[in-house]
Amino acid sequence: MSAAPRPETSPRLEPFRLRGANFNLLVLRLLDPRPEAVVPAIGDQFRRAPGFLRFAPVVLGLGDLEVPASAVDFQGLIEGLRGLEIVPIGTTGGTPELRNAAMAFGLPPIRSAGGKEIEEPAPAPAAVSAEPVAAPPPPPPPAGMARPTMIVEQPVRAGQRVWAQGGDLIVTSTVNAGGEVIADGNIHVYGALRGRAIAGGGANADARIFALNFDPELISIAGYYAVREGLTGAPIGKAVQVRLTGERMRFDPLG
Amino acid sequence: MAQVVVVTSGKGGVGKTTSSAAFATGLAQRGKKTVVIDFDVGLRNLDLIMGVERRVVFDIVNVISGEARLNQALIRDKRVDTLSILPASQTRDKDALTREGVQKIIDELSKDFDYILCDSPAGIEKGALLALYFADQAIVVTNPEVSSVRDSDRILGVLQSRSKRSEEKRDPVKEHLLVTRFDPARVERGEMLKLEDIREILSIPLLGVIPESESVLRASNTGTPVIMDGESNAGQAYADAVARFLGEEKPHRFIETEKKGLLKRLFGGRAA
Repeated sequence: MSAAPRPETSPRLEPFRLRGANFNLLVLRLLDPRPEAVVPAIGDQFRRAPGFLRFAPVVLGLGDLEVPASAVDFQGLIEGLRGLEIVPIGTTGGTPELRNAAMAFGLPPIRSAGGKEIEEPAPAPAAVSAEPVAAPPPPPPPAGMARPTMIVEQPVRAGQRVWAQGGDLIVTSTVNAGGEVIADGNIHVYGALRGRAIAGGGANADARIFALNFDPELISIAGYYAVREGLTGAPIGKAVQVRLTGERMRFDPLG
Repeated sequence: MAQVVVVTSGKGGVGKTTSSAAFATGLAQRGKKTVVIDFDVGLRNLDLIMGVERRVVFDIVNVISGEARLNQALIRDKRVDTLSILPASQTRDKDALTREGVQKIIDELSKDFDYILCDSPAGIEKGALLALYFADQAIVVTNPEVSSVRDSDRILGVLQSRSKRSEEKRDPVKEHLLVTRFDPARVERGEMLKLEDIREILSIPLLGVIPESESVLRASNTGTPVIMDGESNAGQAYADAVARFLGEEKPHRFIETEKKGLLKRLFGGRAA
């Protein structure tokens, strides 16, 4: 399944760019609306591959639920899933009533690219908590609303992969060689960056990477990448900011 | 309840079995009832290092498959009477180990012992995963060398995601770093990683530094855990590490080149 955000053009030239991108997402089809039934069952299932699904974004499939929206405890489901380090980012299928109810908890409907389309979501209800919902300007892809920054306080170790879907990623410790950090937004590493850092998802060319001790294996922004061997001009071992200018990567010392 | 301690590293040949034997013996010498389990089914070595290879009748696989009772397979050490060894099978492979079987053995041993040491095989496959699954504490053995540090980093990640404690969302496994085969002279010449660099990358508390020493090979070949060689640097370093493991404060020794390090400190160490 993939969600296709609407490609739109920005009226001005440079403040930002929006591009369409396709994402492969897991859909979690709910067969039971009760968190106390769903969450432990998922816990058992996902436990077998905990590294793989850590912070995995999932879309909740509502198509199999034949209950009124009032019978679905979205709050409980979201909290339960997050407790398992699974990040629900939206919904697919289901009745408009169910989708609207989910939207009130920050889960917008996501259109699947190939499959059945759901009708354009109604404007977000006014009482959607403090999160600013971008209504008239086009919502950023893919989730349609600002996502909180993900903060990782443990070292990201060899073989581990952390993915901040739809937002920024802050690592307060180090990213070790063999580790991988990915964000659709910016990446900040307040330690040594020795592994791979992939910012800007597939399309966000304005994303940047910041590291206090810049020593990466690979750096990528919006699909442009450089391996360590090619980083001869970069200030290795320094505090560095990486950004794209056109199709070139720029490395500026920080501070 | 017994504490389950896994001795692990990711990489092979860094000194897991030597360290397991030394630690188990050291804990037992201090009066702790200790059992050390060899999880390296198919490549059993612990019995050799412990000098009990001629007394092996049954092994962990026999116990799991119900061919022997646990106390038939346990070998009581002749030098330290609070120490027992549960050997691995030489003829089977790691598929003979099951999580349920290991769970049963650990539950049963928990009744009689204070410490259960699990000597992990190398790698991150089934045997290694089972060895660390039940751990309350982990001793991560690392050589001052990039590939070893990288593999230790990997195994730390595995400990954080695939141990029973992490699955049950209890307090995480307590991690200890044990640097082995450390040669201060080679570190000074830039041929080995510096201690600070290893600590910085792995960022877990340092339990001990075991110097490279001929006494380790001698001890292995004679089936005497090196910690029993109180004359050797390595033996003393293991004894220190065991003391720290039990909560004592001990300064780290053998981490600087001898004499030269002292002179340097006296005559302008800052210039170095």
